[in-house]
Amino acid sequence: MITFERVTKRYPDGTVAVHALDLDVPAGQTMVLVGPSGCGKTTSLRMINRLIEPTEGRILLDGQDVRKQDQARLRRGIGYVIQQAGLFPHRTVQDNIATVPVLLGTSRSAARARAREMLALVGLDQDLATRYPHQLSGGQQQRVGVARALAADPPVLLMDEPFSAVDPLVRGSLQDELIALQAQLHKTIVLVTHDIEEAIKVGDRIALFHPHGTIAQVGPPEELLGAPADSYVADFVGFDRGIRRLSFVPATGLPLDDGLVLDAATTVEQARTRDQGEQWLLVTADSRPAGWVPVERLAGLPGDMPLSQVPAEGFGHAFIVGSESLRVALDAAVLSPAGVAIGVDGDGRVLGLASFEDLRAAITAASKQELAVLAGGPGQGVGASQDDDVITEPVIGEEPGGQPQAVTGQEDSQPASSAGAAP
Amino acid sequence: MMWSWIPENGSQIWQLTQENIYLGLAPALYGLLLSLPLGILAARWRWFYPPVLTVTNILYAVPSLALFIALIPSLGLTDTNVIVALTVYSLCVILPNVVAGLRSVPEDVRQAATAMGYGPLRRLITVELPLAGPVIIGGLRVGVVSSISLASVGQLIGVSSLGYLFVDGEQRDFPTEIYVGIAGVIALALACDLILVLLRRLMTPWMRERKGPAGKVAAPEGAPELAGSIT
Repeated sequence: MITFERVTKRYPDGTVAVHALDLDVPAGQTMVLVGPSGCGKTTSLRMINRLIEPTEGRILLDGQDVRKQDQARLRRGIGYVIQQAGLFPHRTVQDNIATVPVLLGTSRSAARARAREMLALVGLDQDLATRYPHQLSGGQQQRVGVARALAADPPVLLMDEPFSAVDPLVRGSLQDELIALQAQLHKTIVLVTHDIEEAIKVGDRIALFHPHGTIAQVGPPEELLGAPADSYVADFVGFDRGIRRLSFVPATGLPLDDGLVLDAATTVEQARTRDQGEQWLLVTADSRPAGWVPVERLAGLPGDMPLSQVPAEGFGHAFIVGSESLRVALDAAVLSPAGVAIGVDGDGRVLGLASFEDLRAAITAASKQELAVLAGGPGQGVGASQDDDVITEPVIGEEPGGQPQAVTGQEDSQPASSAGAAP
Repeated sequence: MMWSWIPENGSQIWQLTQENIYLGLAPALYGLLLSLPLGILAARWRWFYPPVLTVTNILYAVPSLALFIALIPSLGLTDTNVIVALTVYSLCVILPNVVAGLRSVPEDVRQAATAMGYGPLRRLITVELPLAGPVIIGGLRVGVVSSISLASVGQLIGVSSLGYLFVDGEQRDFPTEIYVGIAGVIALALACDLILVLLRRLMTPWMRERKGPAGKVAAPEGAPELAGSIT
């Protein structure tokens, strides 16, 4: 638990970087500090491990004022990851990772053994242990940076724009890995970014800063998207926040229909007799989606031809019913030639199809429910939390920590219900 | 050119070479030892560097023979005189490299070290100096080469080195001796330079597989030309 109490940072030239900041970072959660450049988010982060000292106020780490602790010892107990990874160019990967354990007095061989464990934890090959940082790609360096920060198993991890220097594709996978890692380790993470998408993706809570060192809104991502405190927050989270908010609504509640789903062994003749005015049929092989066949394409084909031999259109992607969000389902429908989203289970087997109409109904229901949760006081909280249970239950039941999204899905319900109870 | 002169005087040439090695390496070493603390202070406090640089540049502009003569009243016609003078020159070429080397340590690396709990001294010794090493050795190379070459000028105040061969050869009107002296100084300087290059390679395993300009040792700006002008 990290607590900022009326923390102000004023530089000698009079610039105020952070103004009377009050902020709680709950233990075991990821708090993202986000805002435009110069808003004081990085200054706030660096005051936690005393790279910068506050002018006024204090910062408590588990109840202890950080300024009353020995600087070096405090820092060895706090993991730190920066933008360019900041690896020591003259040390091998394993010695980079072993840095803090060695500083803490662990023998070099034990520290190196630990380093190799950390390599595995961040998904890097053991062969990289004896390489030098410049021999690694940017994404690999950043993983080593995370491994180094975690090597001494600190309860707190500070991350300063950790993924900004890598290309978008690598950034996405690093973010996914951070989410998965956090689900496993439950560190108290403070992450600074200027990227609201990243904040929404990895944050349990987001603190959105005004340009001049004050906080505009603190809360779980869905609260910033669903109930921005003012027009500044609404502008910052972006005009498509309505769609992004759907990331926090599980797709579990969607009605699924399997009327259009046909196995690859089905013959053209059989498919024709089923024709109930549909335009598309989903062909599956082994219960897994194979492709969309337009009904008109069946005309003129021999009746005994199996559907597996009829040319089919690609299906884009499916959504995992138990663990993925309405946003993924909507995206699947938009990308599908049939305008229909394919719902699959964790193994990729088709459970059924959801049309645009189904999605629209689910989105409307989710918005109403969310508005009720956000607007509702303690009195109305009962109904809201019941709804939460309905949504949450299958998420936990079907996909126990399988996908990173599953983790996000699980944690959704907590802030939502606490938001209902808090005000 | 009288080739037979060389083996006939082999032991004397070897003796002079050893003296030249000593007069070349000792000042470079002392120069390095003085440059490190000064460079560390200059890299830490920016205001400290410009005045120090001005003083060393003025000293560097003094011709070597003039400096030897200026030191005679206090140090006499001794090895010490030459070593002190050449130490000043070495300091002048090594110091900028110490500063440049320390300043070339990437800010994110320095910051990461601090954030992981390194104290300033430990960070300096285990992170900053090793990373500045290649640039510092670059300065040391110039210091050693110029000291070896300038040491021969010490002959003019009677301090023995390969310079003896120039002076003696000139007085006896015997070109072979002069040529041997020049070739000896050059060979010695090249050999020492080569050793330092190998030393740098040994000390910087992390640069071995690096390609491109990043692997090059940054030559001290302007120093080689200046060194040429006073020799």
